[in-house]
Amino acid sequence: MNHSAFLRAMTDDHSNPSCPIKLAHGTTTLAFRFQGGIIVCTDSRATAGSWIASQTVKKVIPVSRLSRGEDKASDKPTPGLLGTMAGGAADCQYWLRYLSQQCTLHEIRHKRRITVAAASKILANLTYAYKGYGLSMGTMLAGMTPQEGPALYYIDSDGTRLPGNMFCVGSGQTFAYGVLDANYRYDLSEKEALDLGRRAILAAMHRDAYSGGFINCYHVKEEGWVHHGFDDMNPIFWKTKLDHGEFSNVTSQL
Amino acid sequence: MNHFPEAWGRPRDDVYGAYNSTYLQTSGPKAHTTSPAVTGTSVLGVKFKGGVVLATDNLASYGSLARFTDVKRLRVFGGKAVVGFGGDVSDMQYIDRLLESIDIRENYSSHGNMLNAKNLHTYLAKVFYKRRSEFNPLWNHILVAGFDADDQPFLSSADLLGTTFSSPHLATGFGAHLAVPILRRKFPDERGIETISREEAIEALKECLKVLFYRDARSLDKYSIAVITQEGIDLREDEQIEGQSWAFAETIRGYGSQTS
Amino acid sequence: MTSLMGHPSGQTVGYSFSQPTAAPVKEHSFYPYTDNGGSTLGITGSDFAILAGDTRSTSGYSINSRMVPKVFKIGGDDETGKGAHILLSVVGFAADGNALKERLDAVVKMYKYQHGKSMSVTACAQRLSTILYGKRFFPYYVHVILAGLDEEGKGALYSYDPVGSYEREECRAAGAASSLIMPFLDNQVKFKNQYVPGSGEGHALQPKKAEPLPRETVEQLVRDAFTSAVERHIEVGDNLQMMIITRDGIEEIFHPLKKD
Repeated sequence: MNHSAFLRAMTDDHSNPSCPIKLAHGTTTLAFRFQGGIIVCTDSRATAGSWIASQTVKKVIPVSRLSRGEDKASDKPTPGLLGTMAGGAADCQYWLRYLSQQCTLHEIRHKRRITVAAASKILANLTYAYKGYGLSMGTMLAGMTPQEGPALYYIDSDGTRLPGNMFCVGSGQTFAYGVLDANYRYDLSEKEALDLGRRAILAAMHRDAYSGGFINCYHVKEEGWVHHGFDDMNPIFWKTKLDHGEFSNVTSQL
Repeated sequence: MNHFPEAWGRPRDDVYGAYNSTYLQTSGPKAHTTSPAVTGTSVLGVKFKGGVVLATDNLASYGSLARFTDVKRLRVFGGKAVVGFGGDVSDMQYIDRLLESIDIRENYSSHGNMLNAKNLHTYLAKVFYKRRSEFNPLWNHILVAGFDADDQPFLSSADLLGTTFSSPHLATGFGAHLAVPILRRKFPDERGIETISREEAIEALKECLKVLFYRDARSLDKYSIAVITQEGIDLREDEQIEGQSWAFAETIRGYGSQTS
Repeated sequence: MTSLMGHPSGQTVGYSFSQPTAAPVKEHSFYPYTDNGGSTLGITGSDFAILAGDTRSTSGYSINSRMVPKVFKIGGDDETGKGAHILLSVVGFAADGNALKERLDAVVKMYKYQHGKSMSVTACAQRLSTILYGKRFFPYYVHVILAGLDEEGKGALYSYDPVGSYEREECRAAGAASSLIMPFLDNQVKFKNQYVPGSGEGHALQPKKAEPLPRETVEQLVRDAFTSAVERHIEVGDNLQMMIITRDGIEEIFHPLKKD
């Protein structure tokens, strides 16, 4: 019995669309650094094959003891890191939960919050150890610590770990990069940055079938992260088109 | 990594070779034709007022060869329950040894209560599930008959995957296709088992065995039948299917060129 | 290490003729899963949650049994599930479903014995996710839904994929007919694509806001969803089992469905 071949035969809906166990997959996510901190934006669609398993997935996962379970929009920043999820939904959820645990333990042992560099390394070491077993995740970790300032890392299931200023991950990444690269400046204001993040996700939702649902937005600043809404893409799309004259390829006739 | 997350973390063809769909058994011969060697066919069971009847024929086939014509596939456990085995005979004998050792252990134990049919079924289903989870299945489909803790008639099935289900009448293997429709016709759900007599249940199973003998090429006209009631178990192991009529056979024409 | 996979079609595009590779040697191996069909669904209200499922069990085109419940009480005091405060529905491979149900039941019971208080639905939901992920490399072939009341007494519903990704939702359909039922639920529970008449013209039309529905409405929606699914899916039928959890406890209702 070849176990990894067996697991693949059961679950690889990419090689075999009629495989018996279809796992939920997450899709467009982005994060970028700017003068006011870090913006993290995602879509909310999960697909299993061509079936839309959910349109309401929370693809931004708070990674820290204090913020766990808190996911309500509020003006008061919540301290801690943010993780994003793309790839296998269960892999991302489970291992970010595991990372949360490790970060909490770090706080208890060292009496200070973990750095983003250290947290991302825990995850990267983990995914590297599981390399070849079929894990599927492309995740970004964003946070602000006194040691690092705003820090952003990309970690994936190949074991890759990269620090950077801007990442887009998922099947809609190219569309998001297109919008981001054209309009990004480091000195963006907070509102401009949030709008740019939303606009990039909107572009990806429009052009990528695996992305859609709601636009989820977060802002990471010195005191912690702030949630900036989980909004249905449809009215935003029409507003963008009708008020700003974008998406002129789409007819507004009903 | 590329921008298709559905491809991430999947074994890459350039590293692991092409996707091997043979694990899925989508076409070609079924795996269960290769692993079990000597096999028994259907097991039939019906509940009636005050008990359960179980029946199997006495054949153990070796592929298409009718190899052993005197194999008893009904096993009594502890004087209150009967297990009917379909599928691999060597695995049946293993389970029989297992049951024997449990029976002895239970009899020597101080608590004094014996496993009833329901307990036995739960146990065997877990044995099956454990073995399938180890990729080393016990290649059987069984029926367990007897009584539950409230002394109500009990009939339930378990198979090599650990799947279990219960119904007033059950049949495994070919019987699931040929006998169950007959039983459902004779004993529709609305009737309830309270209206079914012991004699009626036995007659129904005999008729099912006959139909199976007509059409199941791996069956035999010698059979075993066990009637489980509160009074005890009446197990007959050398019965003969009676009143056969092969007149219908003349009307059968092949599917190929011989159609008229 | 970044890797560029290019287009994940699996086949290499090239200009040279490729050698026709011999068909891989058919490796016969045991297939540890089966699909027992059926469908489940859950809907929450402001002070209750409903979990429902049909009671048919199938393998292939055969109906194993017409009475195999898919909704279970978790963490009850005895075999009947009395005193339970959590509901679980399982659909997919029944043996895996059963094993999972028993594990979760044991976990919730142990929690009560060890901590002297019953497990919250939130905690149970996360524990279930961990249990499912524990078999990430040999998954439970099941789609489960967990229901209960949260700390504020509101209906809580959690749905899972086979390896444990989970989300709290207001409604969810799972199993064979999920693709038939889920769009119906989106429209009738979440009012998706419904608009307030006369609230505007064209793009200004206001979408109808979703509010928690009263229990009678939800029960009727569940019945409608299943009677319709039965008409269009062969693996769904026989009986509808509904469990309703409120602060007064759990109520179980059975309804006949078509048996063809």
